Amino acid sequence: MTDGLGPLLSVERLKKYFPVTGSRGSMLHAVDDVSLVIGRGESVGLVGESGCGKSTLARLLARLHDPTEGRIVFDGEDIGALAAARFARSPERARIQMVFQDPTDSLNPRFTAEEAIGEPLRLLTPLRAAALRERVAELAAQVGLPAELLPRFPHQLSGGQKARVGIARALAVRPDLLILDEPTAALDVSVQAVVLQLLERLRRELGLSMIFVSHDLNVVRLLTERVAVMYLGEIVEVGPSEQVFNSPLHPYTRALISSIPGQGPRIRLQGEARSPVDPPPSACRFHGRCPDGQDRCGREKPRLTETGERAVACLFAANRVCSGQ
Amino acid sequence: MTPVALARAGAPNPPLLAVRDLNLEFRTRDGSVRALEGVNLQIGKGEIVGLVGESGSGKSVLSYALLGISDRAARITGGAASFGGIDLLRADARALAELRGREISMVFQSPRTALNPIRRVGRQIEDVLRRHALARGSDLSRGLREGAVQALREVAIPDPERRLNAYPFELSGGMCQRVMIALALACRPSLLIADEPTTGLDVTTQAAVMDLITGLARERQMATLFITHDLALAADYCDRIVVMHAGQAVEDAVTESLFAAPRHPYTRRLISSTPGPAGSIAALAPVPGNLPDLRRSDLPACRFAERCERSDERCRRIRPLLGEAQPRGASHRVACWFPDEVRAADTDVASPGEMPA
Amino acid sequence: MSAPRSWAAHARHVFTENPVTLFAALLFALLVVLAIAGPAIAPYDPLASNAAAALQPPSAQHWFGTDSLGRDMLSRVMVATRLDLGIALAAVTVSFAIGLPLGLAAGYFGGWWDRLVTRLSDTIMAFPLFVLAMGIVAALGNTVGNIVLATAVINLPFYIRVARAEANIRRGAGWIEAARLSGNRDLRILLVHLLPNALPAAAVQVSLNMGWAILNAAGLSFIGLGVRPPQAEWGILVAEGAQYIVSGEWWVSFFPGAALMLAVFTFNLLGDALRDLLDPRRRT
Repeated sequence: MTDGLGPLLSVERLKKYFPVTGSRGSMLHAVDDVSLVIGRGESVGLVGESGCGKSTLARLLARLHDPTEGRIVFDGEDIGALAAARFARSPERARIQMVFQDPTDSLNPRFTAEEAIGEPLRLLTPLRAAALRERVAELAAQVGLPAELLPRFPHQLSGGQKARVGIARALAVRPDLLILDEPTAALDVSVQAVVLQLLERLRRELGLSMIFVSHDLNVVRLLTERVAVMYLGEIVEVGPSEQVFNSPLHPYTRALISSIPGQGPRIRLQGEARSPVDPPPSACRFHGRCPDGQDRCGREKPRLTETGERAVACLFAANRVCSGQ
Repeated sequence: MTPVALARAGAPNPPLLAVRDLNLEFRTRDGSVRALEGVNLQIGKGEIVGLVGESGSGKSVLSYALLGISDRAARITGGAASFGGIDLLRADARALAELRGREISMVFQSPRTALNPIRRVGRQIEDVLRRHALARGSDLSRGLREGAVQALREVAIPDPERRLNAYPFELSGGMCQRVMIALALACRPSLLIADEPTTGLDVTTQAAVMDLITGLARERQMATLFITHDLALAADYCDRIVVMHAGQAVEDAVTESLFAAPRHPYTRRLISSTPGPAGSIAALAPVPGNLPDLRRSDLPACRFAERCERSDERCRRIRPLLGEAQPRGASHRVACWFPDEVRAADTDVASPGEMPA
Repeated sequence: MSAPRSWAAHARHVFTENPVTLFAALLFALLVVLAIAGPAIAPYDPLASNAAAALQPPSAQHWFGTDSLGRDMLSRVMVATRLDLGIALAAVTVSFAIGLPLGLAAGYFGGWWDRLVTRLSDTIMAFPLFVLAMGIVAALGNTVGNIVLATAVINLPFYIRVARAEANIRRGAGWIEAARLSGNRDLRILLVHLLPNALPAAAVQVSLNMGWAILNAAGLSFIGLGVRPPQAEWGILVAEGAQYIVSGEWWVSFFPGAALMLAVFTFNLLGDALRDLLDPRRRT
């Protein structure tokens, strides 16, 4: 969905390594050589299990952390170059916003809902006083938060209401890119449905680009056009959501989808994910747990190879694509 | 016949656990919270029953009440819960302590917080074995140790002799949950209560843990009460499902029957608001309204009445009981004055998210 | 759930809900009145000596009796309130103003900043605190100002520790990340976001500290450092009366001692009330 002006966000070979305390020189590869493109108005899902790096990647893209290596190009500007601490006051800050997983944890317990939503307006826009209050009221209405709840503190709001405050706050400064980190994971099923419908409606009305980080594949399939699957810091598969869901190419994606309740025969993965600390540079990271693995996988590292709209990092995936699965 | 087949045939399967008309409330500074009202529940030997509901539905409260580990502010104001001839609600502390861990066990939600963080996992299992004097062999300490190794082996933890000495923080979430299952099953209880055992776990780990629990349950003919908010998960693993709303049990049916033809309006909405493998966002139909405040003294008799499009005066005044307004002995029971009629055409199994419009 | 109460209604609720809190509040009010208006409402001039009326036991004319110079003990005890409370307040304020920001910064930034501040705190705490206070006053000179300084220094670690813990717990919280997304720089996060959240815990510390600071000042004066006679201060009054206990004139030490005890007691009780006042969670 690019409109010829180039992608909105282009991530190039992004890496985030954390030094491991206690072991000199050891590094934890949280995000390893990730490249991704987000078009204008496009909704992309980022899925994977705990430890895969999707939350770290989300925070890198939101410029809350600094990358170790690699570029983050937003609308033509290299925003990775500026330190995260200084990014707060740059003009790009208002263009990328984030909605967090736990609505309770994402609201300052001493700020009322009105103050929470108003803060980005106060800091990043020239709005003040009456104009600011009006904008806050407008946002509350937009997310379906009754106006009488605005003077309340977080502990006086329900989970769904807090989630709405978080969304209103993120939308306040009219961002171009909204990153959502498991926004409905902590909510009850019926509240989740309401929030998902809200997000879909806002996306259509405001033309936002969205990065939707989640472990819930059912939800991702509904809200995104494309999805990227991560494992141990790397992207192992990318493609249009329906296609990835219905005919996954990477063995990990297949195992993931088969684990969803109601998805038929389960592919059982042996053991646990290997450690993200100092992973071997020339082996597939899924080797050892992969039901299809062969010796070659332990000696050669697969690269993300594209075929049409899809890309997969597996030495044997090409076979599956060609055979039209 | 398996318990499922028996239930479908409508044959009476003498229940291992029978909860009748259970009322429970919490005394708080702001008034009484009527957390459970008139709950009826039966679990037969070897049966896997799912207790499904959202937060605030009372499902965890019910399980704590059965084990006698409710919050101090809780008061049982009516009903009975019999297990093998003992009334769990009125038994004395000693009798309950004998039962816990030995006959009825519980697996809790977040394994890391449920395990003692400063005690090695092997020791924790040995504690349970020692408490119920179930060590094998004449040398007690070696017998205990062997019992613990065996327990870890049965939950498919690799290298159990070495893992015995691990502390909970050294293990992953999935491993910790397996240890908790080992703890719960060490004494071969006849009833296992699993309270949201997979919340917070990855979906692949979740599948493995659920496979483990249900596998062991089938193998040992152990009755299981599986508490969850995830309807799809319950559908995959449970023989029978009981749906709870605001402290009341509203529907009780064999799994296939529940999804093929959900009869309570709340169950229908719950199913249609769960994103499934098919369908679109627009098709998600959330449950209208909010959970009623359980502190109110003017709660409607059917607590779903205010959120239901079919409710009338009778719903507000008289509580429909499970199975009321239905032929006696019906296996698919619903607590509603206006249940959906069973449609003859709906004999196929539907999965969540695929409800016919 | 309903809308939060206004401050006034909340304050009223906090103080009437618990009888202990109300009691503490009344005592505190009494102390404040004495501190402000003590000299004006004292029945006698606290410095006026009257040799004829020396060492009189408590009576209708002298409720607390008289001391060795014939001065009215009631007046002296009342007037001393101002000095004691004043020293304690000044010391606690200085400690709070320096310790809280240091602790918050240490807990939020971590790294070498944290190490530096923790070392400072550890160094102070390595000394028996009262001895350290004595040392500071002895080194810098025997004045009231130096008592305030010494008391402030030895109380620093408490504020640093509380603030550091409060900042540390919250530094990874979602709402801190959200604050950064909203355009906050680190300094603003510390002042506008973290500081208000650390206040309830710090308030309890302030209250306990006030009692401790009063005891400290009294202790230093008791051994002759800081406040000099004929100034009225509870510690000095106790010291002046100590030699008369053996000979049976108990009232010279007793009443100042009782006043000290009452003051510390009041501040300890107030700690919880202060925390309740400041915590928005209790405003429902």
